[in-house]
Amino acid sequence: MKIDRRTLGKMAMGLVGATCLMQLPAMAQDKPAPFDNPGNVKIALVRYLSTGDFFQAYLSGVESQAKALGVDLRVLDSRQDAALQADMVDQAIALGVNGIIIQHGLTESMKEAAQRAVDAGIKVVAFDVNVENDKIPQIEQSDRDLARLALEQAIKDNGESWKAGYVYVAGIAPLDRRNETWVDFKKKYPGIEEKAMFGTLDNPIANSVANQARSVITANPDIKVMFAPYDEFAKGVKIAVDEAGLSSDIKIYSADISTSDIAAMRESGSAWAATAATNPAVVGQVSVRALAQLLAGEDPGKSVIVPPTLITQKDLNDNDIKNMEDLSAKLPQFAHADVAMPAWMPNPNAK
Amino acid sequence: MTVRDLAMRYGFLALLAAMIAYFAVSASGFVSPQSAVFIFQSVAITGVLALGVTATLVVGGFDLSIGSVATTAMMAAAYVMVVLEQNALVAVIVCLAIGVIVGLINGFLIVYMRVPDLLATLGMMFLLVGLQRIPTEGRSIATGMTMPDGSVASGTFSPAFLALGRHRFDFFIPNLVPVSVVVLLILAVLIWFFLEYTRFGRMMYAVGSNERAAQLAGAPVKAYKIWAYVISGIFASIGGILLAARLGRGDIASGNNLLLDSVAAALIGFAVLGAAKPNAFGTAIGALFVGILLQGLTMMNAPYYTQDFVKGVVLVVALVFTFALSRSGQK
Repeated sequence: MKIDRRTLGKMAMGLVGATCLMQLPAMAQDKPAPFDNPGNVKIALVRYLSTGDFFQAYLSGVESQAKALGVDLRVLDSRQDAALQADMVDQAIALGVNGIIIQHGLTESMKEAAQRAVDAGIKVVAFDVNVENDKIPQIEQSDRDLARLALEQAIKDNGESWKAGYVYVAGIAPLDRRNETWVDFKKKYPGIEEKAMFGTLDNPIANSVANQARSVITANPDIKVMFAPYDEFAKGVKIAVDEAGLSSDIKIYSADISTSDIAAMRESGSAWAATAATNPAVVGQVSVRALAQLLAGEDPGKSVIVPPTLITQKDLNDNDIKNMEDLSAKLPQFAHADVAMPAWMPNPNAK
Repeated sequence: MTVRDLAMRYGFLALLAAMIAYFAVSASGFVSPQSAVFIFQSVAITGVLALGVTATLVVGGFDLSIGSVATTAMMAAAYVMVVLEQNALVAVIVCLAIGVIVGLINGFLIVYMRVPDLLATLGMMFLLVGLQRIPTEGRSIATGMTMPDGSVASGTFSPAFLALGRHRFDFFIPNLVPVSVVVLLILAVLIWFFLEYTRFGRMMYAVGSNERAAQLAGAPVKAYKIWAYVISGIFASIGGILLAARLGRGDIASGNNLLLDSVAAALIGFAVLGAAKPNAFGTAIGALFVGILLQGLTMMNAPYYTQDFVKGVVLVVALVFTFALSRSGQK
């Protein structure tokens, strides 16, 4: 056989093909650049809100996903100082980070800072703040879905016609979004009658809401369902219902969850029937994953929505769930969301 | 007695009566023993704090730290029971100790370090808001919570402690009067008697109206002032105990609303019976006044911002009663 250039070329191509084939399974586990060398990847989390259980859990999610990827995470915390938060984005740019997660903040103060970061060639994602930039994906927990899940459960438990008390404070973005769902539900089910609307953010919130709820229950003894789409509200309503001795007559539906909420829901004869919640740790993980996709040149989509989970009193009792760790362990849909999860992405929840 | 004197002495009580009458007519279910007890319960915590701040007002001082003392005591109670797994008595003692210590430090700063009262207690307020978060790294405390080191806190709020917030005494009707209301009433009578009828209390008024004169008369002015802050600290920590017992967990909170509401109650109290000075009876009536107002407005579905507005109006009117109509205003 005469070996000419053509056959040599074919053999070479075959060889390349063979090596490619052999490498394929290995490729699936290898991460795309720059995560093939993750020690050199620096990302920054620029926070506006940080105190409270939700934000603590969010941070732990960000940390666990960053660790799973092996990247270097810097946390910059502005503690509700809008101007400082914008400065911190510039600080992150100066640090030479590859990616930034903006967590909450005000559109007005963050819009330009976010644009500066994008101009500097840095990939940016934003959680729960609209920075009005096409290049920046929005991470969201779906507040409308949260409210919908809780209300659907209320309909399932109580039928389509009941008298309701509603806890709401206008002007807080997530509560406003949850309110839209409530307004739609009242239209869809004319049998639902809103007898009273109340609410306050005076802290301690649960204590102030308890005082209000007591007055409402006294004035409207026919209320059967309390829709309190924020767990602090629900805690307050529960205290009032307990104090009035009406725990078996009123059912509370809420949103969000924490360890102390779980204890309150599981008390014997608790009026707190169900809550819909997104795991803040999962939201933190998704934030990092979406950023990682951007860095790897993939498109996580314009808006990345983390789906909520419905948690009923029965779920908690049946699975003997005592705290947030149990909840993640025993309700897998709560522990992990299959969002922004390309094949190469390490799952921080995998054992 | 002139019309002005009458207006000054009884104007505010007349306003209170008119308000009760109005709500009785327009809000169904407002007039009932349960409703009355509930109003007391809703003002019990701010009322106790307000009585404490009255003591500092009497010596011409002010205590901005009461709200954060209360929330710190609440966190401490939760920490002692849930994390350290101690009983109710230990929790109560720790809370009271916090009140005493904070009061002593406040008094020391103001009397010996010559820091103005507003600034010293403002500093203490920030210090406590931060301090209460350090042991749990900013988390609220509840049974089953995960500690910063990964272990799970397995203690619980003891039933005896929760009873402080939830037990009800029979009073004509079974299970009517909650413990917190009884605590409020006992403390109100105690501090009223103490300020009006004991030598110690009268001397505190003397210090407040003219510190130099009191000093020249041989009164240990410094001791009286420090005592006033200790009383304020103890009352605030009792407020915190009641709060923890009601909520059943240690809640991260700055307590600023507790501070504002209780100061408002104490200032409204100036106007009651034309006293034109801080007094325990007036403070109790002031707290009740705000409580009745909020209860009635909530029953009529008024949103929270109108309630803040009305609270402000009441405070302004009360201050007008105090300063424009009273003799001390006619300079």
